[in-house]
Amino acid sequence: MPTVIYSPAYRAYSFGDEHPFSPVRVEMALDLVGALGHSVETLEPAPATREELLGAHSEAYVRRVEEMSAGVPVSDAPAYGLGTQDTPAFRGMDEAARWLVGGTLHGARLISAGRANRVLQFGGGLHHARRAFAAGFCIYNDVAIAIRELSARGLRTAYIDVDVHHGDGVQEILYEDPAVLTVSLHESGQFLFPGSGEIRELGAGAGRGLKLNVPLQPFTAGESYREVFGQVIPLALRHFRPDVLVVQAGADAHFDDPLADLMLTTGDYEFLFRKILEWAGEFAAGRVLFTLGGGYSLRATPRVWAILYLVLHDLPVGPGIPEAWRRKWKGALGEDLPESFHDSGPGSIDVANRYEIAHRNRQAAERLLDLARRYWA
Amino acid sequence: MLVRDIMRSPAETVSVDTTLESAYRTMRERRIRHLPVLEDGQLVGVVTDRDLRLATSVLAPVPFSPGSKVGGVMSPNPQTADPSDPIEDAARIMRDQKIGCLPVLDGSRLIGIVTGFDLLNALIRMTGVDKPSGRLEVRLPDQPGELARLAAFLSERELNIHSILSYPEGESAVRAVLRIGSIETRLLAPDLRKEGFVVLWPPEKPCPR
Repeated sequence: MPTVIYSPAYRAYSFGDEHPFSPVRVEMALDLVGALGHSVETLEPAPATREELLGAHSEAYVRRVEEMSAGVPVSDAPAYGLGTQDTPAFRGMDEAARWLVGGTLHGARLISAGRANRVLQFGGGLHHARRAFAAGFCIYNDVAIAIRELSARGLRTAYIDVDVHHGDGVQEILYEDPAVLTVSLHESGQFLFPGSGEIRELGAGAGRGLKLNVPLQPFTAGESYREVFGQVIPLALRHFRPDVLVVQAGADAHFDDPLADLMLTTGDYEFLFRKILEWAGEFAAGRVLFTLGGGYSLRATPRVWAILYLVLHDLPVGPGIPEAWRRKWKGALGEDLPESFHDSGPGSIDVANRYEIAHRNRQAAERLLDLARRYWA
Repeated sequence: MLVRDIMRSPAETVSVDTTLESAYRTMRERRIRHLPVLEDGQLVGVVTDRDLRLATSVLAPVPFSPGSKVGGVMSPNPQTADPSDPIEDAARIMRDQKIGCLPVLDGSRLIGIVTGFDLLNALIRMTGVDKPSGRLEVRLPDQPGELARLAAFLSERELNIHSILSYPEGESAVRAVLRIGSIETRLLAPDLRKEGFVVLWPPEKPCPR
């Protein structure tokens, strides 16, 4: 049985009712699993300690988060990405963020102690937080902190990031680490935040050739995404020989996402999750830790993460979305919710354009592999 | 951006009496293609790898020998740049004259060199992304106040502009490409359109629900 990690305390990580990074997304997903008749049993680990944060963040940065969290004005906050429009400061944000880190970290410890194989952290995935810079709704980088913990216990980690945005914070913190492979697939930074994640960002020092980025064209559809996913990841895993996979399962590559431009369906996400589990079995003795991440469509994200839960538990996806769940959340949101787990499709996209996009993505993946292989010999 | 911000300083140089063989070796070792030529400490010419190869080619009517002097094959009285020149001036001179470098003079003293490669670096710096940001691309009418209107829109929302690049598009429009310090640029587009801006990126999605 997979271990599911969640605490109601995660709800405190909230930038306000109007903000896209809403804890409602996670509640809806868990509630959807429950509405299907599955009883969700969760572990509630303690929040991470200050010392644990320092595995990935500078003391100066953590101190500023603590001060702003306590309502103390910090004059150089912008230099640390704090108190911005995207990531506004709020009372208690230090503790709220430490709860999320604590969950991901605990998942990593369960795996490294051999007490769990499949872990689903129902939160976290704050992949934009850098060593000393908050960005894109992310304060503390739970993923990088958990990966550092796995490394400290002698495990080689392959990190896979399917969030539509580049996993820049994780990459920055682990850029020279030879014990960590990172692979991020994302909409090209030429268009989308954060702007990085080019093919040539391959890592530095002993980590060179182990930080992989697949920038995808806007409006990439599932077929092309699946192709490059299969083109790059198994080769990288075969080369790297990880002990464990860590996966950031952002749901914002879905076509309904309001912040980005990729065209995945819930069915595509189901395919990705199943593939990752298959590779975890093939390359990492089944050890895999999933976190959540971005995903700002309330019509899509809860379904994607419910699918993640179901696939991890080897439960069937479906049959349909329970009517009671749709009524309840429609009442709360005033928005009609889909009736089935699987989308009927992102509608029609111009076929010639689709071919051109797939072609460019394929070339990006090939160029990436050409470059990376020079360091894999 | 000024020439002094992108030039390489100090520049590797040779004298008019340096042999072709020696100048060639310097280029090979330093992996450069352009050498300012000095006489009594004053700039008198530029010699390029192409000058050397053409002068010594077996196809030349009378090929120069490896021991000949640089002074005989250099381009004399070269175009130069001032460290305070804007780089676009340097780029224009190099393109118009079809030359690959400009020695940089402070008065009569040679202090550096700018090559086409340095201009490429500058282009990459100006168009590059060095902070987390998203793209916003807008076609503005080419008239006073339009860019200010856009900037005011962003300022009201407390959004930071990390970079702006703009270029003319036809007779009456300017295209502005901005990097905005926000993950939420897609949410700006509908509001911008409502205020009459022509937003080219982010576009409307091809798949309405």
